[in-house]
Amino acid sequence: MAFVLGIDVGSGYSKAVVLEEGEIRSYAVIPSGGDYREAGRAAARAALEKLNLTFEDIARTVAAGYGGNMIDFADDTSTDISCHAAGVHYLFPSARTVMDVGAQYSRAIRLDDEGRIANFIMNEKCAGGSGKFLQVAARILGIKVSDIGELSLTARKAVEFTTGCAVFAESEAVSRISEGASPADILAGIHNAMASKIVTLVIRVGLTPDCAVTGGGAMDVGLVKAIGAELGTGVFVPDEPRITAALGASLIARDTLITS
Amino acid sequence: MDYFAGVDIGSTMTKVVIVSDRIEVSLIGPTGPEHRKLANRVMEEALDKARLTFEDLTYIVATGYGRINVPFADRQITEITCHAKGLHSLLPSVKTVVDIGGQDSKGIKIVNGKVMNFVMNDKCAAGTGRFLEIIADSLGVPLEKIGEISLTAEKIAAVSSTCTVFAEQEIISRLASGEPIANLLAGIHDAVATRVSSLVKKLNVEADIAVTGGGAKNIGLVRALESKFGRALLVPPEPLITGALGAALMGKDIFAKYMAEGQKPTRSVNKLEEATFFE
Repeated sequence: MAFVLGIDVGSGYSKAVVLEEGEIRSYAVIPSGGDYREAGRAAARAALEKLNLTFEDIARTVAAGYGGNMIDFADDTSTDISCHAAGVHYLFPSARTVMDVGAQYSRAIRLDDEGRIANFIMNEKCAGGSGKFLQVAARILGIKVSDIGELSLTARKAVEFTTGCAVFAESEAVSRISEGASPADILAGIHNAMASKIVTLVIRVGLTPDCAVTGGGAMDVGLVKAIGAELGTGVFVPDEPRITAALGASLIARDTLITS
Repeated sequence: MDYFAGVDIGSTMTKVVIVSDRIEVSLIGPTGPEHRKLANRVMEEALDKARLTFEDLTYIVATGYGRINVPFADRQITEITCHAKGLHSLLPSVKTVVDIGGQDSKGIKIVNGKVMNFVMNDKCAAGTGRFLEIIADSLGVPLEKIGEISLTAEKIAAVSSTCTVFAEQEIISRLASGEPIANLLAGIHDAVATRVSSLVKKLNVEADIAVTGGGAKNIGLVRALESKFGRALLVPPEPLITGALGAALMGKDIFAKYMAEGQKPTRSVNKLEEATFFE
């Protein structure tokens, strides 16, 4: 049976998924660094090695993402929006609204009943609703981005930020810290500020349940909770939210393999 | 002689102006996290410089982002009104003001010395002094030098990011790939000018146009704005004090109105040291 490969070269991480018979056989996530071409190849190699496969074993490769068009060994490229839609529809067939919170971008995608893209909106101009905001928060508090979510859940009273701007929020956070606000309360406030930016995108594409959150931001339980509260509904989160678009790319590789 | 004081507490700088029938004194100090103590201190310094006492002041008006934190002020008036007032007294031909502050930027349309309309951005750091401060910092160039340096650029290195956070990354990676600092600074000033001019152009822009606020002290930014507006811009001699000057002049007008009605306004606080907040 044929193995297909999906690669998503994001601004923060590069992801690869190996698919066989419609099942995820392996995946890898590595930091993109400065060289997207190499990052995409390294992610693919890491996923293949887990199955003792080589590039020759792969029947078709589709690449997507910020650096997707740099992946010269891919048979085809696709847009990350299409890949996201395909990945989410595979994981959660009932999902109609997807919020993807990446390292530098956040976007909202609305799907129709067949999982096709009905509408989407992307925010690439502002760090306010992106993972970059979490990195800023981690830096001023001297903690790891991966520890933000858990810590934020211990908040007693979320700090209210008057701004959605990551730069202004940084100075606001510093002032609140000097007034005695706890790191957890600061983080909960930052999650609320981000959620409000993200939900603004969702409202613009049209909120239709069920909702899913993907991308690195979905690994932050505090952010997911804040988004759910802002939406007033529960949200689906994939087990490995970062690979959603790579999974979608592998599904597109499979589908185009059958028809070609 | 009656003396009127204006106190403008901006996000970055605090300004005090005392006027009589002329400008007696103007003073600029940084705004720290403790606005409340700071207003008293800057006022004290201004009074010393003018050889006046707090009791000599007839009326005090506070303005700016921190205006509610001036415990000794007799009245608070928005910075838009005060800006227009101050600028009109300095440059009466101006109909459009572009103000670039530490954490906001705004456009004000003035007709017959009064505010007719205004636009403001205080939601996003792009197009504010903060943007320039962050970039200057990451390039390791003092903020007060970036304007001059940007004018030596051979070409404008266009910056594609709007967001300050992304622009900082973009600048660092382009510096690493060999782009000269002057070209990058020209690109940054062009980006701020584009952002600010598109905000201000929501108003019906009419000449003359003046630039105020800390941004007006940056010659590179003034030149970049001139190219966006397609004409020379006026800059007051001390562009930071326009709001505080306007506040002092508003106080003078209020006093004149009281006097015309046969009343004398009472000061809210008589001694500066008594001017404290009880929370």
